[in-house]
Amino acid sequence: MTDTHCPYCALQCAQTLSEGDADTLVAVPRAFPTNVNGMCQKGWTSTELLTVRDRLTVPLRRTVDGDFVEVGWDEALDDIAARVRAVRESAGPDGVAVFGGGGLTNEKAYQLGKFARLALRTRLIDYNGRFCMSSAAAAANRTLGVDRGLPFPLTDLNDADVVVLFGSNLADTMPPAVQHLGGVRSRGGLVVVDPRRSATARLTDDGAGEHVQLVPGTDLVLVLGLLHVVFAESLVDTGYLADRVDGVDAVRRSVAEWWPERVAATTGVSETQVRRMARLLADASPHRGGGGAFLLTGRGSEQHTDGTDTVTAVIDLALALGLVGAERGGYGAITGQGNGQGGREHGQKSDQLPGYRMIADPAAREHVAAVWGVRPDQIPGPGVPAVELLASLGTPDGPRALFVHGSNIVVSAPDAGAVRRRLESLDLVVVCDIVPSETAMLADYVLPVTQWAEEDGTMTSLEGRVLRRRQAVRAPAGVRSELEIFADLARRLEAPGTWATEPREVFDELRRASAGGRADYAGISYDRLDAGEALHWPCPTDDHPGTPRLFADSFPTPSGRASMVAVRQTGPAEVVSADAPVWLVTGRVLQHYQSGAQTRRVAKLNGSMPRAYVEIHPALAQRIGVEGVDEISITSVRGSMRAQARISPDIRPDTVFVPFHFADEGLVNAVTLAAVDPVSGMPEFKVCAVSVARTRT
Amino acid sequence: MSHAGRSGGRTARVVVVGAGMVGHRFVDELSRLAPDVDITLLGEEPYQPYSRVLLTELIAGRVDLAGLSLPTTDGSRVRMELGVAVIEIDRERRCVVTTQGEHPYDHLVLATGARGRIPLLPGLRDGLPRGAHVLRTLDDARDISAGALNVDHAVVVGSGPLGVELACGLRRRGVAVTVLSSAPHLLDRALDPGAGRIAQGAAEGLGIEVVSAVQIAAVGVSDGRVTAVRLRDGVSYPAGLVVLAAGTTPETGLARAAGLETNVGIVVGDGLRTTLDRRIAAIGDCAETPAGISGLVAPGWAQARALARSIALDVPVELPAVSGSAMSLKAAGLSVVTMGDRSTTAHEGDRVVSLADPQVHRHVELVTRGDTLAGFTCVGAPELAAHLSTQFDRPGLLPEDPLHLLAGSGSARPPAASPTAMPAATTVCRCNGVTKGDLVAAWDEGSTTVDSLAAATAATTGCGGCRELVCGLVDWLERSDPHAASQSAPTTRETSVPTG
Repeated sequence: MTDTHCPYCALQCAQTLSEGDADTLVAVPRAFPTNVNGMCQKGWTSTELLTVRDRLTVPLRRTVDGDFVEVGWDEALDDIAARVRAVRESAGPDGVAVFGGGGLTNEKAYQLGKFARLALRTRLIDYNGRFCMSSAAAAANRTLGVDRGLPFPLTDLNDADVVVLFGSNLADTMPPAVQHLGGVRSRGGLVVVDPRRSATARLTDDGAGEHVQLVPGTDLVLVLGLLHVVFAESLVDTGYLADRVDGVDAVRRSVAEWWPERVAATTGVSETQVRRMARLLADASPHRGGGGAFLLTGRGSEQHTDGTDTVTAVIDLALALGLVGAERGGYGAITGQGNGQGGREHGQKSDQLPGYRMIADPAAREHVAAVWGVRPDQIPGPGVPAVELLASLGTPDGPRALFVHGSNIVVSAPDAGAVRRRLESLDLVVVCDIVPSETAMLADYVLPVTQWAEEDGTMTSLEGRVLRRRQAVRAPAGVRSELEIFADLARRLEAPGTWATEPREVFDELRRASAGGRADYAGISYDRLDAGEALHWPCPTDDHPGTPRLFADSFPTPSGRASMVAVRQTGPAEVVSADAPVWLVTGRVLQHYQSGAQTRRVAKLNGSMPRAYVEIHPALAQRIGVEGVDEISITSVRGSMRAQARISPDIRPDTVFVPFHFADEGLVNAVTLAAVDPVSGMPEFKVCAVSVARTRT
Repeated sequence: MSHAGRSGGRTARVVVVGAGMVGHRFVDELSRLAPDVDITLLGEEPYQPYSRVLLTELIAGRVDLAGLSLPTTDGSRVRMELGVAVIEIDRERRCVVTTQGEHPYDHLVLATGARGRIPLLPGLRDGLPRGAHVLRTLDDARDISAGALNVDHAVVVGSGPLGVELACGLRRRGVAVTVLSSAPHLLDRALDPGAGRIAQGAAEGLGIEVVSAVQIAAVGVSDGRVTAVRLRDGVSYPAGLVVLAAGTTPETGLARAAGLETNVGIVVGDGLRTTLDRRIAAIGDCAETPAGISGLVAPGWAQARALARSIALDVPVELPAVSGSAMSLKAAGLSVVTMGDRSTTAHEGDRVVSLADPQVHRHVELVTRGDTLAGFTCVGAPELAAHLSTQFDRPGLLPEDPLHLLAGSGSARPPAASPTAMPAATTVCRCNGVTKGDLVAAWDEGSTTVDSLAAATAATTGCGGCRELVCGLVDWLERSDPHAASQSAPTTRETSVPTG
């Protein structure tokens, strides 16, 4: 019996793994605050990941014919090191780039950042969290002074009067979390903002709340309209604003132009609903005697070219109502990937060092260099964010080699066709993975690595709580931990510093590196976690109880005050036209996780959702002559995909929805565009202009 | 470096006359696009730029004063002089002369707006008596609000959008309001007669008296105060407060005095520059473009943006194509939204679908042209109006039967699932993909309680949301199969499937 957490999303459901029949492992849920006793079908079937048919167990090298041959570890690592040296000699250290993942443990994420900077000596590292949390992170940093997905325990939602979900479908992405919405639904206070009547939006039916079915890409305008009403109708918490918040006047002025009738024409949300929503929120706010309100954002509102501004406006609204740091209420981002929180704190981001330190900050460099046993000048400067990094691969001044860890970018990155062409133009691609993912199949070397139940480590959940991942089974022979691979390659590349391979030792180094940073793990240890302590960062000392709730007394900004930031509407990077009259939005289904590299290999999950589909409104389906389960092609200037129609009145008639977990002809990211938010680098997955047609057969 | 910044080897100087919503927007756009331009904004009112279109909301008490202030412009880049009157434009010297001094310019932008039209009526000819107002400025709105405190009856002259918003705002303050208008019905420029009558009914439902198609003879004045409004037919409406919302007149005086071409407004070409002097442009309510005078803020903002881009980037002015008019009333309790064409302006071959529901003061009308929504009118249907606004002028989206548009984006909710009626393939537990058939099979295998069904199928073990449904299934199975727990053979049971 091993107590660990589910391998998938950021809810990190607690589960116990035990021996079943015939040498198999069985996962059952365990009592825990976030998942209570629940687990979705991804969790129940998670142990199938350990025995998938095509599990990688031997390093593979691509031959000149394009096939893969099995090679020994030493041979592979020697050759990789030699080829890295060759690229470095011809193109300099930035000739090698690294792409990481938000599913890696804290230990692996930390060590990957260190490996890039000290062993490869490149500044070019970024990761798929750029597609996940970056807009929310940038907005929280500039307003509240720190980015922790939920700065309060998830269970706080139970007692609120109102919870607003801006673009989150958590009934599909993290189903057990829905249990925490029971209270607010019974009080009629769940508000779901989504162009689709998703499974989560349905939770508002029958008096449980409101579904706000806005036009894709207009989330920011809706929030500006809500801000307009709370200022215009004097619903703001003036005492709180005076005591704790700067920048109020600029925001008040910026929303004077967004009266509800104007908002209605842009968003499709009526002025009556805008006002109703604003008053619902105000009445739930503590200063008006309410029971508390939480404003939560998900990828639906964040994955836009104005995603940072949208989240900023949501935080402005939470501040205006005096919710942030209140006993009941606040703003939070619902982190997606399993370690999306920890993965962004310890050095995978292009501009950051462990503990959320900025890599350009001399004091930060000095601190981390001391922990790493190097001189500060041996740490390279800031790199570039993911989309820019991917677009530069193989270009005349761009990298010639790429390491990929825990990411399947030819499925999950926007404009995926272009990403594939970039990868194909490289001299060397090294992919560490557990299965032959679509990206691994493009590699020069594929290195088989350990997964979840085969390893120890820590994960940081959506509420900033550090959790222990524990080894339950021995990894298949031939598989190595990424910590070992980093050490082996660092030695071959004559990197400075020490390269521990035991997760506990790496974590202890991470604690020292994060000490004094915003995400301070110094006081968190395996011993304390194994003793059952619930530790949320920051936790600076061994006797510190951790920080479940941030902002109660002050904000981690130089002044101790939060900043409201005025933002302007810009709208989507691509707008509908006669040639591309329909909005495309992408998202997730319950059965699959991320690019589907894992879940598409689990029989029960793939059996119930084997292919992509196109959700389309009956009126639009009729217009393009689609009936029943006809196949639909979706085309943008970048590429096209096709999948079966799923005709449903749950989607707006001007919009189609496609889940993004699928490859080949169902690859919707062949259609999406790579325009990014100018602040966060987040791509605009959540809206682009397409044409739709019945597939000719 | 922007184009505008290169003027004659020194920083270009742009002077804007008029700090209303359009002048403000122009300055805001230009200061972002051309960081090296020297900008001066001259405003006649002594207040920071504010949102004029919300003045009726201020009177209604739905916005407070602070909520009107527009974003501040970058003080290091934009010199703002407020409360100054412009005396003349000296085109020879390229210089604007004010009561305070002179402002040389390379580009001059006139955003002088319009003033409320005062009808030439007895009682109004020697200036406005006390208690009579137009509504154009913040001071006007304050005076009207203050006046509303002390009167029982107010008369609003004019039944266009401003008049109707005003009447609703005053009514919301508890004042008895009469709207007098020479027009045949409410909002006659935006609504056809049928829709207008329904809008009128809605206004009357709010307690507003509407008297249409009348000729006003005079405004009664006593001791310098208004007392009543008299019609040609002799009927008199007593009023302690009279607000004139009978149209506006573009402010063209400065331009005319400077020798620029004026008609109703300041005449400009497609590029928004005046016909006789390319260095001078006009935007907003004062500008008479080849397409006419806008009179609304949205087209004025579009002009501001287009002109700012043109000056900053040296590109031609590109105005978005405007098809038809658009109007959206801001009034508590009265929702009227129109866009594009309506039945009286529809083209030959267009389809016009209308729905009148006078009992609840609702009227909806659609005009479709080919595969495009070419116009709509919504009275008393704010949700549908919001949806139609997003579908307007979008080729390729129209449902084959325009009637379907009336259903909006929402959908009829299917009835709650009943364990008896649902087909076996229906998913009961989404989290774990468990169907009704799976649960029935588990029952037949001996799992006859909710907990044992959960253990056998994992249903209810995700979010727990299906627990009630599983309980219902257990009840149904018990009713149809009371001894199942003690039997091992599968049994048959009736499942009723709804028809139609």
